[in-house]
Amino acid sequence: MTMTRRQLVAAIPAAALAANLPRGARAEERKVVTFWFGQANSDGQAALRNDLVEAFNASQDKYLLQMEVKGAAVNNLLKVALVAGNGPDIVQTAGPAYLTAIANAGQVLPLDDFAEKYKWKERFLAPLLNTSVYGGKLYALPRDYESMHLFYNKELFKQNGWKQPTNRQEMEEIADAALAKGIIPFGAGNADWKGVNEWLMTVFLNNVAGPDNVRKALSGELPWTAPPFVEAVELSKAWFNKGYFGKNYFSLTIEQSFLQVVNGKAAMALNGTWSFGTKSYGMSKPDTVMDVMPTPSLGSAFTGSLVHLACGATLSIAKTSQNAEGAAAVFEFMLTRKFYETMNRDWPGKWALPVKDLPPDMLQGIGYPLFEKTIANLHEAFSKGQYGFTTWTFWPGATNSHLIEGIEQVWLNKITPDAYLTRMQTLFSQEAKEGKVPPLPPRTA
Amino acid sequence: MWLFALPALLINICIILVPAVLTFTAAFFMWDGVGKPAWAGLANFQNMAADPVFWSALTNNFIWTAIFLTVPVCIALVMAAALLMAPNARIVVQSIIFLPRIIAVAVTGRIFQGMIFSPATGIVAWLNERGFSISDPLADPDRSLYAVAAVDIWHWWGFLAVVFLSAMRQISVDQIEAARLDGAGFLALFRYVLIPGIRPTLILMLILTVIWSFQVFEFIFIVTRGGPAYGSEVLATFAYRHAFFEGDVGQAAAAACVMSLFGLCATAVYLWLQITDDAQST
Repeated sequence: MTMTRRQLVAAIPAAALAANLPRGARAEERKVVTFWFGQANSDGQAALRNDLVEAFNASQDKYLLQMEVKGAAVNNLLKVALVAGNGPDIVQTAGPAYLTAIANAGQVLPLDDFAEKYKWKERFLAPLLNTSVYGGKLYALPRDYESMHLFYNKELFKQNGWKQPTNRQEMEEIADAALAKGIIPFGAGNADWKGVNEWLMTVFLNNVAGPDNVRKALSGELPWTAPPFVEAVELSKAWFNKGYFGKNYFSLTIEQSFLQVVNGKAAMALNGTWSFGTKSYGMSKPDTVMDVMPTPSLGSAFTGSLVHLACGATLSIAKTSQNAEGAAAVFEFMLTRKFYETMNRDWPGKWALPVKDLPPDMLQGIGYPLFEKTIANLHEAFSKGQYGFTTWTFWPGATNSHLIEGIEQVWLNKITPDAYLTRMQTLFSQEAKEGKVPPLPPRTA
Repeated sequence: MWLFALPALLINICIILVPAVLTFTAAFFMWDGVGKPAWAGLANFQNMAADPVFWSALTNNFIWTAIFLTVPVCIALVMAAALLMAPNARIVVQSIIFLPRIIAVAVTGRIFQGMIFSPATGIVAWLNERGFSISDPLADPDRSLYAVAAVDIWHWWGFLAVVFLSAMRQISVDQIEAARLDGAGFLALFRYVLIPGIRPTLILMLILTVIWSFQVFEFIFIVTRGGPAYGSEVLATFAYRHAFFEGDVGQAAAAACVMSLFGLCATAVYLWLQITDDAQST
């Protein structure tokens, strides 16, 4: 049979398409699973493409995972799409605080049947899995665990004879000594992300008032206007006004402020474990300049240091999904040893699944000792139930918005700490009444 | 005539009237954006009135309106008159002053934030290194609104100047020449010939400025997100925060109704002026 030139030209795109299809199947035989992702830098996008999408599609021939990176507005897009019935199969939220409204509205499916089939309840760490349980039903899987930590420039510490601080007095001594030498005590800036305010307030509330008092407040047993929280807010204001966060907190981006620490212009940074996965922050692996530790106590409520329980993202299945089985298969793929290793190697800190049977010691050898050490500490602390509570995981929406926006008014002397906390209590009480407070994990793991 | 207007009318009903009615209705409900709305009566308006941030946002909208009714309008009028008098420079100058208008808002915002105001990477940093003690105005709650307004004025005044110049070019050359022969200088010509000659265009732009000033969002959201400490918060950022960060769509809709109210008032004034003009000319 001979082909005309026109037939040949027409056949080329079809042949090219067929050649690009994953092995063992044509596209029409596979059921598509859609997934919207939020923000991802270029490394992150490459990791998502290689370690998740292509690896999943190559691992089986029933489903075809399609991912779109939607950017910072993904949470807003998701809400609108879910209400309109046009959302993706896999619904990723920015944590339990965002999931609450979606789960309460029944926009995502209960995962209990899948959890039983794949033994998810036995495999995930209970404190994190329980943040997605509403009315006794599981609505999401935690994608990662995070915590605030104290990052510091160990070279600078060595040069100045500073030791790892173990309490507030030692922290303030280092900060004062740094200020006297013209070094910014804490590199911090919120010009590109106001959420930095809540990172800091998570540390102040938990490390001054203590995790037990925070738990009581989140349970409604203690008002936010109680003295331990007043002390926490006043300390944050005192540190801000003493210049511990530098003169340019509202002008610097997160990246610029973290680089100050790496470059020795600042001594420390109160930042999250996600910092490991952001190359532009300037940390290297292995790191000869930076070190990291859990944040020490800043009050009298407890001694030692504390990590803060956080789930940076949850994964659910949309109520309107035509392919819930496929979405669950993607979740199960994420629990494989190979995915855990490759994703944490390529994008450290972003997909640290809190799973019991994937212990963090598996990460040994990925060539990032600081990250390996931090994840191992987190795993142990969360397993033992020794943790504080992050605002972005456990505070309901309006209360958290006030926590973020209102603290600037406190720091800039527009309102008093009492007025700030009174407003927080009013909003929290209202949201608690409306069932908007994310569930708390049990007291022990 | 109705058949002729039908396509435009249908489009307007679908994409303007229906969402407007839904937004107005949402203002009377408690709704988190995904669940079932619950009737709230006037509670959203009452809560809004009790919130000091709403009042400071509203005040900021008035300040913004006052700034944009004066500063860019005055600059644009003077530039347009100057260009009218200097036709040789018109093409080049118009192209230059119109340029900021065609740069994306996000790009303009980031340029001012990172390359001008930033004490780390901007001109402010450069000046500080040379002994000038200048702080970032975006980081000061008492100055941030004015700093963002300056960015928007840079972006906006060239467009206004081009509009005013187009209007001035419609004025009869004979009228301008006659004024000059009568000994009118630049100021007298400006006051008694050019301004009255472009009165309809000027009024339209002023009315639109009022409407747009109560809808202002992009520059503020990109550059300061309403901060710090709500220093540059306006009604649109107030509504956005309630809708998308606090899950309170009803409250956001109530704020949107207030924004629309001012737009409606400005439109009513414009229509009244048109009717008055028509009555005077007949």
